[in-house]
Amino acid sequence: MIGRRLRFAAYNLLVWSVVLAIAFPLMWMTSTALKPNAETFAVPPTLLPVHPTLEHFVRLIRETPFLVYMANSALVGLMTTALVIVVAIAGAYGLVRFRFPGREAVAHLVLFTYLLPAVVLLLPLYLTVSAMGLANSLFGLVIAYTTFCLPFSLWLLRSFLAGIPIDLEEAAMTDGANRFRAFIDVVLPQALPGIISTALFSFILSWNEYLYALVFINVDDRKTLPPGVLTMLNQNQNVEWALLMAASVLMTVPVLVFFSFLQRHLTRGFGAGAVKG
Amino acid sequence: MSSVLLRRERAIGIALLAPTVLLFGVLILYPMLQSIWLSLHRTNTLTLRQNWAGLDNYADLFADPAFWRSFLNTLIWTGGAMSLQLVVGVGIALLLHGSLVGRALARGLVLFPYLLPTAVAVLVWRWLFNDLYGFLNSVLLRLGIIEHPLAWLSQMPDAMISVILVGTWKFFPFVVIAVLARLQAIPDALYEAARIDGASRFAMFKDITLPQLSGVLSIVVLLRAIWDFKEFDLVYLMTGGGPGIGTQTLPILVYRQAFQMLNFGRGAAVAATMCVFMLLFFAIYAWANRRLVVSDR
Repeated sequence: MIGRRLRFAAYNLLVWSVVLAIAFPLMWMTSTALKPNAETFAVPPTLLPVHPTLEHFVRLIRETPFLVYMANSALVGLMTTALVIVVAIAGAYGLVRFRFPGREAVAHLVLFTYLLPAVVLLLPLYLTVSAMGLANSLFGLVIAYTTFCLPFSLWLLRSFLAGIPIDLEEAAMTDGANRFRAFIDVVLPQALPGIISTALFSFILSWNEYLYALVFINVDDRKTLPPGVLTMLNQNQNVEWALLMAASVLMTVPVLVFFSFLQRHLTRGFGAGAVKG
Repeated sequence: MSSVLLRRERAIGIALLAPTVLLFGVLILYPMLQSIWLSLHRTNTLTLRQNWAGLDNYADLFADPAFWRSFLNTLIWTGGAMSLQLVVGVGIALLLHGSLVGRALARGLVLFPYLLPTAVAVLVWRWLFNDLYGFLNSVLLRLGIIEHPLAWLSQMPDAMISVILVGTWKFFPFVVIAVLARLQAIPDALYEAARIDGASRFAMFKDITLPQLSGVLSIVVLLRAIWDFKEFDLVYLMTGGGPGIGTQTLPILVYRQAFQMLNFGRGAAVAATMCVFMLLFFAIYAWANRRLVVSDR
């Protein structure tokens, strides 16, 4: 009895030490963001801030274009997600519920593009976007982000929709509803959690994106967060780590909030749905 | 169902997929063809005028030692990061698959790095790796493992090792979540039977757990190989490909050729070469996963 309890305690101790070690960089980020400058460079470093302060967050918002970057990131994320979700719902529903020639080919294409490297499309998309006069425009980024958010969303929504039994739709249609009505009244409400999850994942994908944003946007007030904040890293001789950690914390918060909503759907959302489980 | 109805059904299905197919064609297929086109031409970056170059861009590329170095770096990075992700991921999945206090929180903390913006992951780790004030050097110095602070990211092979470590930290949660899902599906009866037969824990792992996981693991390895192979952000932001071209991988080479040297043809040739590898990966994936691919309804 005691042996079993001891083993339980040892197991918990071991696992939690490993978990905390993995989470350590994020704790260190938060801790640094809350330290006054003098303490940031203390040797040896203090684990927790001795004199916690919000000065870096205040400076970030007052003295740097951080909020502009954040607004740009949010805007691109929202526009991309709105476009992609509408197209993907129609496409996924078509793939799941209808039989027509070329259906399998489309499905394979979706998978292939989800695995395609961004650098392959980078140059031609840049040339096209520039030719359309959309260089340095957030719309150019929306176009680029569609190339990975759409395959991802289609794939995810397909698996959500495939899990909805067809019986209810058929019942509604026997009762005289047409396909469209049946879709709106029966399918959509059931698919809503899946649709919301897909939208959140798609938003996170574009919120995190760096490469296209680096290449497409060259003016400061159109930059999104990742390249914007990294310019702050390379701008100064003396890197202000506490300021950068404060920026990192603020960039992480929306992802963290969405993440807690997504807990149930992580296996699918990570793309691990592609792995037979 | 009458053939008229069937035809109507088909038409609706095709109409629903039309926007998707259109966007795929314009935003993915056309640029891919354009990329191949660019790789077969010399482009004047000022006038954007293009002259047929045949396979010259490829010939130049394959004659360039920097290409082969980048290729080797890509293999080292992909191989290193992927195997560590696999080992750490399986290990942690096994650890988390037990009666743990606060299991949901532990899982959340372990999985979160996967969704973290790469820019944030890199900033935090570069701060941890900082030569003068970094946490890592300070701990290693205190423990007496190193005698003076190391400049992790500006010397080889430390830079490559650092990038691989950060890549492992960022992406191993994918392995954890795939393996955890599979572990939960292994019937308890298998372990009970083994226990009655007096099998040791190690024997159970070797003879029950591993064989049950093998299917998942082969697909996980393949997907992680693909995603690590094409990774740009993490490597580029950690080291910029440096020191020198010590950590320059193929995606970084594409970016440098196209947007820093403004050699569109050469950049596109590297990208097309990468595509050949992706096709190979994809063929293996489709073959290994035939039953599942897109028809798992």
